[in-house]
Amino acid sequence: MLEAKGLTKLYGSFKALDSLDLSIEPGQVFCLLGANGAGKTTTINLFLNFIEANAGEARVHGLQVAENPLETKKHLAYIPEQVMLYRHLTGLENLEYFTALAGHEEYSQGQLRRFLNEAGIPADAIDRRVSTYSKGMRQKVGIAIAVAKRAKALLLDEPTSGLDPKASSEFSELLKSMSGEGAAVLMATHDLFRAKETGTHVGIMKQGRLVAQLTTEEIGHADLEGLYLEHMHG
Amino acid sequence: MVVRIARKELLEMTRDGRFRVAGGVVALLLLIALGLGWHRHSNVTAAHEIAIAQEREIWESQGEKSPHSAAHYGVYAFKPTGRLSFFDPGTESYTGVTVWLEAHKQNQFLYRPARDGNTLQRFGELTAAAVLQLLLPLLIILLAFSVFAGERESGTLRQVLSLGVRRSDLAVGKALGVIGALALLLVPAVLLGAAALTAGTADSPSGGLVRTLFLASAYLLYLGAFVGVTLAVSARAPSARFALVTLLGFWVFVCLAAPRAATDLAKALYPTPSVQEFAAALAEEKETGIGGVDYDDFLEGRKQELLAEYGVDDVEALPINYAGWRFQVSEEYGNQFFDRHYARLWDQFEAQDGFRQKIGFAAPLLAVRSLSMSLAGSDFAHFRRFAEQAEHYRRRLVAFLNDDMRDNAGAGFSYRQDQGLWTNAPAFAYDAPDPFWAVSGQSTALAALVLWLVLSAVLARSAAARLEVS
Repeated sequence: MLEAKGLTKLYGSFKALDSLDLSIEPGQVFCLLGANGAGKTTTINLFLNFIEANAGEARVHGLQVAENPLETKKHLAYIPEQVMLYRHLTGLENLEYFTALAGHEEYSQGQLRRFLNEAGIPADAIDRRVSTYSKGMRQKVGIAIAVAKRAKALLLDEPTSGLDPKASSEFSELLKSMSGEGAAVLMATHDLFRAKETGTHVGIMKQGRLVAQLTTEEIGHADLEGLYLEHMHG
Repeated sequence: MVVRIARKELLEMTRDGRFRVAGGVVALLLLIALGLGWHRHSNVTAAHEIAIAQEREIWESQGEKSPHSAAHYGVYAFKPTGRLSFFDPGTESYTGVTVWLEAHKQNQFLYRPARDGNTLQRFGELTAAAVLQLLLPLLIILLAFSVFAGERESGTLRQVLSLGVRRSDLAVGKALGVIGALALLLVPAVLLGAAALTAGTADSPSGGLVRTLFLASAYLLYLGAFVGVTLAVSARAPSARFALVTLLGFWVFVCLAAPRAATDLAKALYPTPSVQEFAAALAEEKETGIGGVDYDDFLEGRKQELLAEYGVDDVEALPINYAGWRFQVSEEYGNQFFDRHYARLWDQFEAQDGFRQKIGFAAPLLAVRSLSMSLAGSDFAHFRRFAEQAEHYRRRLVAFLNDDMRDNAGAGFSYRQDQGLWTNAPAFAYDAPDPFWAVSGQSTALAALVLWLVLSAVLARSAAARLEVS
């Protein structure tokens, strides 16, 4: 579903991403670990066609991103570290706007409410302006948007950073249920614990390169941390 | 999709307190300006109607006197203020609307409120036209400076673009949203204006409806250009603050600096004499003989022609009244001189207007201002048309009176005429131009506005197409 082949991004002589090869199938959750500046966000930006690759290609659902920028986005949902919403609009109005822009005008108000409800937004908050929402609630609206969009692939950029453990765990549950329904997930994160909990695959990035790749079944939490630190120091 | 985006923009604006206040203030000012304009317009119109009626009565009941004395007695001519001048009084405060028509002289115009104004009014009266020309662009900037730059800063742009939204749809939707917000503010003013236009007399001699439509189109072009420029800058600016500062700079240039500079430059390029200098130049040429020809020589030449025509040697033997004939000769002697001086002066004013229209290519305010005044019938071209008709009428009236004396007074010096002649004397009626005459002199301004709209739309489109997400 998500595929990178020799994907490379240069900023001047600095290699932000160095020939990344990656393939994520439906139902898989691929967690990208790495220090800040290791190339995680660059990877996500390339899949979104927000930046142009210098070499290699990114594919979504078999389509080249650079050549089909609008078509490939139909399959994607993107949830950043901070889901940004229109603060003068209510949660429901925000969801309605984003899903309509994604091309889904078919939902009734009742269905949209259900999406928010299932994402964990309390019923009394749905019609409140999002300027009153906590960060956790905004991330959940982000999930609701992704669900309503029926995205086949999710790009998550540190979506749980700054969330309290309860909100973080609720977010992970939502993620699991989406991947359980066949979504391919690429998640950049610093949270080793969360990566082990929700990930089916883990990759460690350093200076633009994917230096290790393994399935979470292969490795316990202690090992993951050891491996991560080993790569960071090495 | 586009409608969705426009609706969301509109919804956000109507919920944002800052926009509500700014929009409310502008809408209120517009309503006040329309009210003031209407008040001023109805006052002047009512005064005119009374004055015109009285003026004819005074003329007709001036009693028995020689026709030439009647010509000296004179009449006032009043420029009818166009229906739309309540919206844009243009130059009327400066050029005046009343002229005294008398024998021998082409007078300057009277009733110029600007002469009685205080320094504060130099900054401009509060007119509906000024609100549309100066404040609405400012409001557009305030409404729209952040449409792209702000969403980019807050991060919502990333999310919107990650949905697969076409950038051009986004630009069109946002433009429509801003236009919708403006429409909301303008609706009450437009309704009021339309009511004012249709109120009172049924027909407007100068094609009121067509003029109104043209006027509305001119302002749509102008405001549309500001929407385009604002979207383009917002899309290209690295931050919302940068966009705001850039756009305010643009506004200061277009709405404050350029008009001042254009007026000063126009004066420097096409200098016009002051009222005193103009009068002094007239007096000087009169002293030295008009066109280098002494009046006595001119009269002598015409007298010889006259004597030859009637085949007599002496004016005593003429079958006509010589004094009446001579008054008319003296008129004709003076007329060519006034024609020359006024034409030179007015050509300069027209050249200044033409120059300001051209500056419209650099600052669209000058273009819309020119079109607006012209369509409201309150620009210099309309003034000149009226002044020339009034002068033409003055000559007809004076000739009518002199000719009566020439033909009917015989040799008598104590010739008197009474109300019968005064009633038969032609009355002045202004032939107001149609709207197409008004725009025919405005092609430069119109071209400038169209160019601005097209250019700003192209700029906005290309800026939106290359919209950076961060």
